[in-house]
Amino acid sequence: MNLDYAGLFRALAPETAIVVGALAVLGVDLTLLRGRSLATRMNVAALISALSVLVAFMLNGTCPCGRCWVGASGPVFGGALMFDSLANATRGGILGLVLLTIGVSTGARINRNPAEYLSILLFATVGFLLMAAAQQLLVAFLSLELASLSLYILAGFDKTRPDSAEAGLKYFLFGGMSAAFLLFGFSLLYGLTGSIELNHVADGLRHQGISPLLIVALVMVIVAFGFKAAAAPFHLWAPDAYQGAPTPSAALIASASKLAGIVFFARLLWSGLGFSAGNVSYAFTSVGWLPIVAVLSGVSMFVGNLAALAQTNVRRLLAYSAISHAGILLLGLIAVSRNGTSPIFYYATTYGIATAGAFGVIGVLERQGGCDSISDLAGLYRRSPLLAGCLMVFILSLAGVPPLAGFFGKFYVFAATLKLAGLAGVAGWLTILAILFSAVALYYYMVVLKQALVVAPAKDATPVRVPIAAAVTLVLAAIAIVAFGIWPSVLLGAV
Amino acid sequence: MNVGLNEYILLSVLLFVIGFFGVLLRKNTLVIYMCLELMLIASTLALVAFSRFNGRMDGNVFVFFILTVAAAEVAVGLAIIVALFRKRLTVQVEELNSLKN
Repeated sequence: MNLDYAGLFRALAPETAIVVGALAVLGVDLTLLRGRSLATRMNVAALISALSVLVAFMLNGTCPCGRCWVGASGPVFGGALMFDSLANATRGGILGLVLLTIGVSTGARINRNPAEYLSILLFATVGFLLMAAAQQLLVAFLSLELASLSLYILAGFDKTRPDSAEAGLKYFLFGGMSAAFLLFGFSLLYGLTGSIELNHVADGLRHQGISPLLIVALVMVIVAFGFKAAAAPFHLWAPDAYQGAPTPSAALIASASKLAGIVFFARLLWSGLGFSAGNVSYAFTSVGWLPIVAVLSGVSMFVGNLAALAQTNVRRLLAYSAISHAGILLLGLIAVSRNGTSPIFYYATTYGIATAGAFGVIGVLERQGGCDSISDLAGLYRRSPLLAGCLMVFILSLAGVPPLAGFFGKFYVFAATLKLAGLAGVAGWLTILAILFSAVALYYYMVVLKQALVVAPAKDATPVRVPIAAAVTLVLAAIAIVAFGIWPSVLLGAV
Repeated sequence: MNVGLNEYILLSVLLFVIGFFGVLLRKNTLVIYMCLELMLIASTLALVAFSRFNGRMDGNVFVFFILTVAAAEVAVGLAIIVALFRKRLTVQVEELNSLKN
């Protein structure tokens, strides 16, 4: 094993920048800002965090000039990490989504410990970044746990509200169980192949057929994946976590964590366990993990869309919409063998921007009054035209209306699955189901927009004051949704 | 009796199943949490057994990291349970149902 520490340090320069940023946030808050107002501390902490994320963004990937000091491509540190174009693009996408979340947190209700909150958010980011490049079971497990443990804290961070602690606990218990499943799957894979390197695992599985032990291992890995992606029937944590967690935490769980998780499992399943994938392109499926993923995808679309119809709470509605989007992401995962990872990367990134933006709008409203049920959005176009316009872009993108990015995301995923074998098999039928459910989804998204854009405001409603940083973030996110819809090749070409 | 790989794996699967049903059936958050730890320990046992029978060290190294992660998980999990108990004065899962539509 070739251990190149200098190469490792160069490759992990973004992570280093973020850890330094997290420590700087804590240090500045504890020394220079003692006794200052909460708003000042929040803004300074957000500024330092955003700067460190920007530095990490610039250090990420290889510079085209080829002479620069930072950056890496190919396997690093004896193959423990893999910096291919997917990893670099995903790391860029994660950093962008984290930046959006930091902007959202400046507009949301301020908790009592802003510096601690943002530094834990940055530690979660380090976990996401490593998840995108992990090519070895040990690094994969550690990066996933670093991200998950930070997210549990972020979900339960608001100590003044019992809801937040309950959301944190439910997220923690489900997450801990899925981590145990993943770990048991990993130990069985290690036993079957004698290695924790993903490419040696693949070599080991190439020469052996499907054994009962391998099926158990595959099921366990898929259960963990289903939890991370919030796919039904492992979705039970999602509505509670989205409803109870502080708004920026919910935005992070729905955006950057989703993107990191889907890329993490796409790498694990296709480059590690690709030889036991099975086949779902035709009516007669063959044994492997693809049939299980296909079932999860169908159930998620079914449960997510139908349950979303009955919701009156905005956050729970976004949670069930997340579950239905997870169904489409799993559908995209099925098509990776034929069309590569660019459709799911594009879909997960643009979905993340739209949903984090929607949470950002909810966060600003929550700070001034509250935004629990959908009817609290009534008359938003009068109270704040800016928020109403941004919310319209995000919700329409989630619904998949052209020319926004959400439409092209769905389009590329559906085109990829139909290229497998047309309508000859399960993948094709699921695509038809997904298209039908997109029409159902349009209804509940329109209910939200109707409240925000058509219904008159309540009599005692006051104009909403939007903090500048949050306003800039939301407008930039809305512009990104439109721009990625018009020029999808910017994201598609990055992978 | 000669204890081989199969016995170790059987024991580890047994521990995992006990932990899993504990998580599903018990009502006290702390007991659920202990059962989660049991599931992690079951994987640890399997890794050590496989590592010994494969004649490689990487499984053993994996176990060190798992134990560290489990310790971190204790810190986070108990902190969340304490925060919840301060607000709700209960750790029974059937009473934690304030998040509803």
